[in-house]
Order: sequence, then structure tokens, then C-alpha cells
Amino acid sequence: MAIGVLALVGTRKGLFLLRGDDARLTWQAEGPLLDGWGVYHATVDARDGTIYAAANHVVYGPTVQRSADEGKTWQRSKIGLPELSGLTVNAAWHIEPGLPQQPGTLYLGADPGVLFRSDDCGETWEPNRGILEHSTRDRWFPGAGGLCCDSIQLDSRDPQRMYVCIASAGTLRTDDGGQTWQPVNKNVAADYLGTPYGEIGQCVHKLLLHPARPERLWQQNHCGVYRSDDCGDSWERVDGNGLPSGFGFPIMIDPNDPDTAFVIPETSPEYHYGPGGRLAVYRTRDSGKTWEEMSDGLPRPAWAAVLREASACDANSLYFGTQSGSFFALAEAETWVEAARHLPPILSVEVTQWSR
Amino acid sequence: MVQVIVPSVLAAQAKGRHHFEVEADTVGDALRALPVADLLFNERGEWSRHLNVFVDGTDARERGGPACPLAGAREILVIAMLSGG
Repeated sequence: MAIGVLALVGTRKGLFLLRGDDARLTWQAEGPLLDGWGVYHATVDARDGTIYAAANHVVYGPTVQRSADEGKTWQRSKIGLPELSGLTVNAAWHIEPGLPQQPGTLYLGADPGVLFRSDDCGETWEPNRGILEHSTRDRWFPGAGGLCCDSIQLDSRDPQRMYVCIASAGTLRTDDGGQTWQPVNKNVAADYLGTPYGEIGQCVHKLLLHPARPERLWQQNHCGVYRSDDCGDSWERVDGNGLPSGFGFPIMIDPNDPDTAFVIPETSPEYHYGPGGRLAVYRTRDSGKTWEEMSDGLPRPAWAAVLREASACDANSLYFGTQSGSFFALAEAETWVEAARHLPPILSVEVTQWSR
Repeated sequence: MVQVIVPSVLAAQAKGRHHFEVEADTVGDALRALPVADLLFNERGEWSRHLNVFVDGTDARERGGPACPLAGAREILVIAMLSGG
């Protein structure tokens, strides 16, 4: 039985499944599934193979959709907030399956800066009160994409610890299973505020925890690239020495090497494309001390933008999709392959293995 | 009985069904009887502002929105307004 790569590519007009061979050179596209829905994020739950999608529609609102048969049929769950909160859900952003020892548990990040938990495989969802009623909420404010909660990271060594990021509130960490949350934004800039290094108000675009070294976190922020080696208690800015810009949205890591990370810089908060129309991934292999360009095979010039959820990594490769509808995978000899083009604007990418 | 007709994105969420026969006194009751009711109302029970509902050709908003009476009505047409390029 051959093993390949399955990429779940969420777009503004539905979900595409791209199946690539092991060399990531030949790809087949299926879709759009959930036709007409904006798929902000889709993922496969490795515990049982179910596909989950955060699917939003301008008329019909936010939903979580799940499929147990590889996208042939879908079940829908609607999400909502209690009336007393005075809030309504604007969009479903990110679905994170729970740890292996938490069967049936999933987390959902949503706009307006809320976290939901399901303990019945996504059928029903309850808002996390610690986030919903956080004492700093009145100082949170939405970015251009809304008050999105798009990064949810679980610590496999400590099930009581997890992280969420809200733009623009910053990173919040719980050490007690989600009952209380503390901002962990020390040394992270928010230079659009009067107090650029305050407790709260940072604009995290994407945060990842290294699975082999869970005290190490990486984040691509509105105001630079950062690394933490102490569970977010403090952060070091690492976007000097080789990066053309500290601004960007996605970040990727190498699950085999905690010192390696990848970003896709954009010119600035005002100009969302690579500096000079140069689309490129940059890699650090020394914890952010230096960066090197990886652009072989990428089109040039390319006035392309990659959104915060639109990249993925596995043990063998990297993947990303652009707002102009191209999906790239890194193949042999560190050359990028355009696996699909002319898709709708790509909002999200996740990868898993598939067998055929 | 009144017939409710929904557009294709909603029909796809209802196993492909575009037409429904329901017994209801008001438009709101008729829409809440559909298997896609959760997509027509938010958690406060409000219609999406991008949703138009016509009762025998008349905009239900002109007759009380969800409270619009259905006495003698034959057809409810649900239309999703979309804008943009």
C-alpha cells in the first residue's frame, strides 16, 4: 500500500482535498466540498480520521462541519454564545483536536475572541468561561480579520496547560485545564498601541508549540517573529539577521528539530506581499539567530499573500497556499512544486498522510 | 400547508432538498421547522440581515418579519442576498 500526503485546503469557496504522492510531485484535486462555504480551517482528527471544518457563510453564519467518510457526507453543528455575554459568534476560525488521552474532546477558536470545547466529537460546543469572561476583555480589539482566536496549542506533557492566541489580545495560557488564563506577552511588541509592551493587546498572527520540546513556542506576530523557551513567560524577538521583514502571517516548524522554523515575510502591515514581489519561505536552523531563503521553484515576481492558517508542516515537508489560489509543496532538493493553481483564495492548509 | 423553497447552499445542508411542506402560523414558525433552521437564525433568534424571505411574493419584513402571518399563504421563498465582485 502506497502512502502519500493529503492536504486539506480551505478556500473562500469550499474545501479541496489534494492528494499527493510520497515525493510530493504528482497531485490530484477533489472538490470543492462544502461548496460555497468559506473554510477558515479544516483538519483531520488523527484519533479517528474524522474531518472537521470551520465553515463560515456570509448569510448562514458560522458552523462546525464534520465528516466521518472523507468528505462524502457532513454533519453540522451550530455554535452560539449565552445571551448574558452580549456577544454573538461572528466566525469559526480554528479546530484543534484534543490530546490522545482525551477521546471526543476538541477545541474551537472563534470570533469574537472565544474558545469552545466539545466533549462529544464536535456535536455540541460550550464556550470557555475563563476566556469569555476574562478580566482584560475590555482591552481586546479586533484586527482586520476580526477578533479571531486562531491558534490553539496543547501541551502533550501537561494536559492542564494550553495556549490560545487572540488578535488582538495576545497569547493567553492556562495551567489549570482552562479555568483561568494569564496573558503571556512579555517583551512582545504592540507598536500600534500607546504602550507597546503592555500586558495585553498584542496581535499574534500564528503561534506553534514544539511537540518535542513543549516549553518552546514560536510566533509570527504583527510586530515581528518571536521565540519563547519558558512556556511564554518571556519572549525573544528573532527576526533580524536575514529576514527581509518581520511582518507576515504563517509560521511553520520542523517537528524533528526545535531549533528550526519557517516564515513567509510580507513587506509590512500596509503591504501584504513579499518585499519587491518576492514570494519566499525563510528558514532558521539556529533558533532564530540567522535566516536563509528557500525560494527555488517559486514564481517570480509574485505579488502573493499567505494567510495565517494557510501553511502546514509535517516530518518530511512544508506546504502553503496563497490568496491567489496556488498551493505549493516542498519536494526533493528543496524545490517548491506548484501542486495546484487557480483555486479560490486559500484560507487554510493542513496535511496528513493517506494510503491508497 | 405552506411550501418553503430554499436556495442551493441551504439545500446542500438539507441532504439536497430544496422544497419543504410545513404547517405553521407565521413565517418564523415555518422557518424554524426546517432542518436548516439553525442557519437562518443566529443564537439570538435573529434573521441574518443578508436573508430575504418572500411570502407569495411579498417581502416578509414588510409584514412583521418572523411574525408575518401565513394565513392562506402558499409559498415562502428564501433568498440569500449576496453582494460583492
